[in-house]
Amino acid sequence: MDTFLQIVANGLMLGGLFAIVAVGLTLIFGIVKVINFAHGEFLMVGMYLSFLLSTGLDVHPYLTAAAVAPALFVLGALTQRLLIQPLMSARDEHVQIFATVGLSTALMNLALLIFGADIANTPAHGVRSQVMLGEVRILTGQLWVLAAAVALVIGLQLFMKKTRTGRAIRATAQNRAAARLMGINDKFIYILTFGIGAACVGLGSSLIAPLYPTSPTIGTYFVLIAFVCVVLGGLGSIPGAFFGALVIGLVDALSGFYIGSDLREAVVFTIFLLILILKPSGLFGTRMNLSHVSP
Amino acid sequence: MLEVKNVDAGYGSTVILQDVSLHVEPGEVVTIVGANGAGKTTLLRTISGLVTPRTGSITFEGRDITRLAAHETVDRGVTLIPEGRQLFPDMTVRDNLLMGAYSRHARDYQDDTLHQVLELFPRLRERLDQHASSLSGGEQQMVAIARGMMARPKLLMFDEPSLGLAPIIVAQVFEVIAQVAATGTTVLIVEQNVFHTLKAADRGYVLENGRMVLSDDAEALLQNDHVRQAYLGI
Amino acid sequence: MTRASDTPMTAHRLGLIAVAVLLAGLVAVPVAVGDQFVYHIFITICIFAALSTAWNIVGGYAGQLSLGHAIFYGIGGYAGVILVNLGISPWIGMFAGAAVAVVAAIVVSWPCFRLHGPFFALATIAFLEVFRVLALHFRELTGGATGLMIPLKIGWEWMVFRERLPALLIAFGMLLVCLAVAWAIRSHRLGFYLVATRERESAAKAAGVGTVKVRLMAVAVSAALSAMVGTFHAMYLTFIEPESMFSLQFSIQIAMFALIGGIGTVWGPLLGAMLLVPITEFARGALGSEAIGLHGFVYGVVLMLVVLFLPNGIMGLVHRFTAAPGKTVGEQAAPVAAAPRSAEPREAGREVMRVEGLQKHFGGLHVTNDVGFTLREGEILGVIGPNGAGKTTVFNMLSGFLKPDEGKVSVLSPSGEWQQPVTPGDFASIGVGRTFQIVQPFAAMTVEENIMVGAFHRHPHVGDAREAARETAHRMGLGPYLNAEASSLTIGGLKRLEVARVMAMEPRILLLDEVMAGINQTDVRRAVDLMLSIRDTGVSIIAIEHVMQAVMSLSDRVIVINSGQIIAQGDPHDVVRDAHVIEAYLGKDFTHA
Repeated sequence: MDTFLQIVANGLMLGGLFAIVAVGLTLIFGIVKVINFAHGEFLMVGMYLSFLLSTGLDVHPYLTAAAVAPALFVLGALTQRLLIQPLMSARDEHVQIFATVGLSTALMNLALLIFGADIANTPAHGVRSQVMLGEVRILTGQLWVLAAAVALVIGLQLFMKKTRTGRAIRATAQNRAAARLMGINDKFIYILTFGIGAACVGLGSSLIAPLYPTSPTIGTYFVLIAFVCVVLGGLGSIPGAFFGALVIGLVDALSGFYIGSDLREAVVFTIFLLILILKPSGLFGTRMNLSHVSP
Repeated sequence: MLEVKNVDAGYGSTVILQDVSLHVEPGEVVTIVGANGAGKTTLLRTISGLVTPRTGSITFEGRDITRLAAHETVDRGVTLIPEGRQLFPDMTVRDNLLMGAYSRHARDYQDDTLHQVLELFPRLRERLDQHASSLSGGEQQMVAIARGMMARPKLLMFDEPSLGLAPIIVAQVFEVIAQVAATGTTVLIVEQNVFHTLKAADRGYVLENGRMVLSDDAEALLQNDHVRQAYLGI
Repeated sequence: MTRASDTPMTAHRLGLIAVAVLLAGLVAVPVAVGDQFVYHIFITICIFAALSTAWNIVGGYAGQLSLGHAIFYGIGGYAGVILVNLGISPWIGMFAGAAVAVVAAIVVSWPCFRLHGPFFALATIAFLEVFRVLALHFRELTGGATGLMIPLKIGWEWMVFRERLPALLIAFGMLLVCLAVAWAIRSHRLGFYLVATRERESAAKAAGVGTVKVRLMAVAVSAALSAMVGTFHAMYLTFIEPESMFSLQFSIQIAMFALIGGIGTVWGPLLGAMLLVPITEFARGALGSEAIGLHGFVYGVVLMLVVLFLPNGIMGLVHRFTAAPGKTVGEQAAPVAAAPRSAEPREAGREVMRVEGLQKHFGGLHVTNDVGFTLREGEILGVIGPNGAGKTTVFNMLSGFLKPDEGKVSVLSPSGEWQQPVTPGDFASIGVGRTFQIVQPFAAMTVEENIMVGAFHRHPHVGDAREAARETAHRMGLGPYLNAEASSLTIGGLKRLEVARVMAMEPRILLLDEVMAGINQTDVRRAVDLMLSIRDTGVSIIAIEHVMQAVMSLSDRVIVINSGQIIAQGDPHDVVRDAHVIEAYLGKDFTHA
């Protein structure tokens, strides 16, 4: 029983990690309608920045978020302005896909070129120490990640519902032409949204850096799982992505223990495929229609 | 107030409007009638900045707005109520209306305007917290008009306001348009429902195959043989 | 005219010569230089070009962006190596791998076809990850993470050589096979169907294309070719492991070469591989491990630049320089060559379509309410009603694009039985053709090719289809624009193209959705004449129209739909005087005006 509780706790903590990566991804998809294949590399860039800042200035990696999140905001905004915006009106979807795939490839290999294939260990500053919650052992850093993910989801929801800019973002996503007729600058909204989405993963990267060794390919692992969470929670839904991430975290932990740790990913991706094919609106259901079925 | 001069416009390689000119004076109700596919919607989209003309010019209150983006045109006081309502379906009626007051000049008066608009559409007051998609077609059209008025436009343009509505609702919509005009707002309407709009308008234009073929007082157009034959079926 | 058709021909011939020179160079250069490393580069070019060409059949022609093509490559590689270890020649293993890959391809793709664009790509990535994890897991079969070595048996039988030349020849041969298959598909019916499905799935369905079937064929062929190349590459590498055989980066590279060379073109993938592989291999050779990541960085940057500035790849650039300037000229107002009509009014024939009690709801909206009518042979039935009345919804149910909630549509088959078609394909094959209100041209095709997609319905061979398409084009007044890109037509031209594509199917029942909207008065008159002449050949027509003048002069009978219901039907002149109709169109006041 203790083992089971421990596995569930591990799964939830893992879910928090996935959530903090998935939230930005689902935001960008929901509003800009672009799947950011480079999202994992945004995380990787953020983790390297966090590593460099915290080792260079000898500060707690969490403090680097103050610089990393704005830096990622700029990276995201530039991506939208320079790479996606010129392609928004492209008739063929493949150009948008390849644009972010190209960015992903370029960033990952740039990191290889600069840092080599070796891993970089961000100093932990105590976040890898364990706390006991009843019978269950948890890393303090993992608790912080989960707490940050919850705060981020609530904060984003409030921003989207309660502020004028948030409403403008939702309006643009729901009906772009009508939003323009209201006086909303849709291009600016997209740049802002992409920036926010990237800043979310920037915040996440400062929290993840002390827990995971940083490497040029770290993004691929996280982003593929993040895609699963996003689809599971219903594309574009921020709370959906959060709960999707918790579910996937649990699945990952439980299947790792009961089926075999080398098959965890196979289980996760099989679930992903089943959802994609059988219930594309996600477990928690949204209006988003990803097959664009024509009449 | 609004002056469209020799405008050519279209999408991609397709030309829709050819050498279109028209003018609207302050306080007027002007209508553009024509068959499906004549280019009426494209004309309004061009004025509002959703489509950029290839040649020709558009001026509003003496200032050139030919190449302004849609959101900039709204800031100048030109608002389009698009064909088929185009509400934000997953937002409440209140949020839809508030989005109408997004533009800089309307923002500060948001609460006052909302109050005024709800006076005009008392029915919407009861619906404020419902999602726009849960409303009937007629109610949605009212929200669309109210949302347009929230921008405090000097010129309000209607694209097919009667589209898909039952005759009794159509009559209500035209009553509302008359009330809007009575507040001093200048109105430009595009309609297939030729009879109703000409009844409501001061002046009218007839658009056929992307060209203006007729322009006259609304009364005169109602009596015009070509109009009667082509659009009224008499 | 002769000059105009000369230019593309010479350009075409020049292109073929250029391709032949490039291909010859792939063998000649390494043989002439004789350096091991140069051999290696050219073998790698051949392998990547072959894989990319195979990918292009799915990713380019069919427009299904697979980022998991390494699945098939990996299956081929593992099949080959596992069988070699059992003493079976890779020449046989290659086909075993291809067979497994075809099965895998169908299992992977079939459920994924309802996913478009990025979601299809994501699904293929997920499948790739599953395959990689499974390959790591089943150690007894694959050797797991430690990988598999091939036993050192040398000779043609084992595809393993001391010298590089035979390996180059095999790689080159595989490239030729892939190119030949890709070329053959593109220039036959399957290629037309694939591109049509990619461009406009609904229009392709309406033209009788089995869209799922043709995509599955494309995927199967592509997977088989990829697997065969995979087998050879495994033998060439002499060592395989899951991380390199089922690699996402590798899959992306394959797709990338096609995109950079020119996605959907026959020669694009070859050009892309020839351009990029040498750069990166030289960089790797010259800079060594210092430059780890450099080639990937270059790939990524080039890919972004290409999508931004050269969306049609190198082939797009080539076309821009070779294309004859000013291919479409002026107004597309070539006369419609309508046959003279017989003067005496004809009797309408037997019933050919029965529509009974159709009901359709969208959410809470009752969009079609108890619609029923019959259509007779050689009759024109006009359908009118205000915008949003639900006319197009009825059309969608008469052509299989929407399933009615209740009610049925029966069509008299050519053999005289009443049948109830279900899918768009059923409707097309029983002889019901339709147009779309919003024109649906296949933008990447010429006018002639657009019409050919319809003509293939009756004429499976390219030559016959082309001839039928030309005939239809001339009849529809599109003769002078046969070689123009469909996207360059005016709206009137596109409307006629829409009708021409359906006419080329030689339908018995023709559903026309507002084909006269937005065309000028002269064209309306011509279109009316054309429809009457079509009717006189025994075709039955149902036409949704707004142009009243056309409806009145065209229709033998009219039905009026308002708010999803038939509110009047009968003789056109009686119907327009009906009070309900006037009210629906003009509002209540008008009846008293």
